[in-house]
Amino acid sequence: MEISTCSGAISLAKQLENDSAKVYQELAQKLEKEKDLFLGFAKDNGKYYTQIERAYYGVITDAIEGCFAFNLNPDHYQFKKTLPENIGPKEAIAEALKMEESMLEFCQTAAEQSKHLMADVPRAFSLVAKKRSERISKLKELLEKTK
Amino acid sequence: MAILEEPIKGIKEVKNYINGEWVDSKGQIVDVVNPATGKVIGKVPISTREEIDAAVAAAKAAYPEWRRTTPLARSRYLFRLKELLEENFEEVSRIQTMEHGKCIDESRGETRRGIENVEVGCGIPTLMQGYYSEDIATGIDEYVVPTPLGVFGIIGPFNFPFMIPLWSAPYALATGNTIVIKPSSEVPLSQTRLAELAEEAGFPPGVYNVVNGGRTVVNGMLEHKDIVGITFVGSTPTGRDVIYKKCGETGKRVIAQCGAKNFIVIMPDCNVPATIAALMTSFFGNAGQRCLSGANLLIVGDDDKFYRNFLDQVVDMTSRIKVGYGLDEAIQMGPVRDKDKKANIIRYIESGIKDGAKLILDGRKPKIVGDYPETCFLNPTIFENVSPKSKIGSEEIFGPVMSVMRAKNLDQAVEICNANPFGNGDAIFTQSGRDARYFLYNVESGNVGINIGIVAPMAFFPFSGMKDSFYGVLHTQGKEAVRFFTESKVVIQRWF
Repeated sequence: MEISTCSGAISLAKQLENDSAKVYQELAQKLEKEKDLFLGFAKDNGKYYTQIERAYYGVITDAIEGCFAFNLNPDHYQFKKTLPENIGPKEAIAEALKMEESMLEFCQTAAEQSKHLMADVPRAFSLVAKKRSERISKLKELLEKTK
Repeated sequence: MAILEEPIKGIKEVKNYINGEWVDSKGQIVDVVNPATGKVIGKVPISTREEIDAAVAAAKAAYPEWRRTTPLARSRYLFRLKELLEENFEEVSRIQTMEHGKCIDESRGETRRGIENVEVGCGIPTLMQGYYSEDIATGIDEYVVPTPLGVFGIIGPFNFPFMIPLWSAPYALATGNTIVIKPSSEVPLSQTRLAELAEEAGFPPGVYNVVNGGRTVVNGMLEHKDIVGITFVGSTPTGRDVIYKKCGETGKRVIAQCGAKNFIVIMPDCNVPATIAALMTSFFGNAGQRCLSGANLLIVGDDDKFYRNFLDQVVDMTSRIKVGYGLDEAIQMGPVRDKDKKANIIRYIESGIKDGAKLILDGRKPKIVGDYPETCFLNPTIFENVSPKSKIGSEEIFGPVMSVMRAKNLDQAVEICNANPFGNGDAIFTQSGRDARYFLYNVESGNVGINIGIVAPMAFFPFSGMKDSFYGVLHTQGKEAVRFFTESKVVIQRWF
């Protein structure tokens, strides 16, 4: 079912951030050399969600279109929640990259769709989208140097 | 999408909160029913005259000491209350959804606006300052000291069970008055939770009291010689003919915020997608049960193509509104509060059909997401070709019904708006500054929206209203509330 409400969008953000954090925790175990980077990513996911949630709870009022703000298909943004047992380092990073691209699209779409809400919610999504873009660059670099 | 966990397990026994104690009532006990599930979630007393008298006596006894408490110290009680409300934000919001039926986003919005009023009240050391003129005559100075008055009664409605008493309570308390709140007996649970948090915040006994009930409690407040003022939000017949009248007879200050029939004026140059999204919240948010809901959609101009295209889009989006239990995050519209209110709305729909309006979306047979009884549910309804003088075009329906009408031009649109006896929250959607200014200048409405569908004033602005929508002088919220809850003591001094 499509998500139209703010509450639904915020819950989807939470689910995606949590699932993604788990993937990074797995990656940290698989790629010992990049452990700190991936654990840092996992930790930051929690911060990103908090940032979005805080913006939402701070500005939600019954005067804004809270129940009609979004038009998101949650299935479109889902990704593999666990990595296959025997996956190689390069493939694992490629999976993470795909996941980040999907989440970047989610954040950008959510920011765009919530533009008419009070500024804090789209701003929070945009800030997280920016962080995601930076992450994507790092993952691409890592992918290139990984054999 | 997730269905959020219900914070009330079983049945909550509601008590009165008098003089810092939770006390049982001797009155009749009635059920509080979750309108979405049909389950009894609470038992509330219909308190007696003796019980309201006891609360007023406690508030009166607490007043002198509370008045002597400095504004700074009083504001710190409110800061503590604010912190507790933030900590319990989600619970308080979900209780509102359970008792009222509104969607969780709407409940959270209500909680936030309630807290914002507490925040404004926290600024009382500044807000309550008087003013001073030196040398009004040689060697003589004059100044104003805003002083509290005593015990105030706060009567809440069913449609915003948590927030509306907070349009008054923080200001009354911050200015040094004591209060007795009477929540709607249909939705007393979030006020009970609020009182529990006020108790935790440490308000001294008797400063903050809650008495549940119905007419007996209201009459007890109105007739009580020790209540100096009343704030009320509810219907126009009660506000005008009972509250305002009786307060006049007994010399009480009064704010009576009443019914509405709000017009949303659509100009052909409006931003159509943004306007339609705003209309959904305006007409169908809170299932249309709010005094700022859009009721009449007035489309301006003789461009039939624009009219048809615009209306088709409105109907299309409206027909896709997901109706169900408000704790389901996918839901955009909850049930109406109870089956009697639903029956009343259906009577209005039938009268619209009888009066010749064209029913283009019929919400009487609801499609509900999830397995819930139909008892209190409706889907949105839209009528076209509605006469502004007809029953559905002129009276407050207080439900998810949109009445569409047309005006030749903006002049005529304003005339139609102003011919209605209510004047609560009219709005215009346009990209023309000239038209917007013409509208806001001429429309007889206390709250005016320009490209805003729900003209809900922030806590630091008054919640206004005109004509049959408001009886009184000053309004709730912000600086006007501070004035309402204080008397201006004027001092002229000379020293020989």
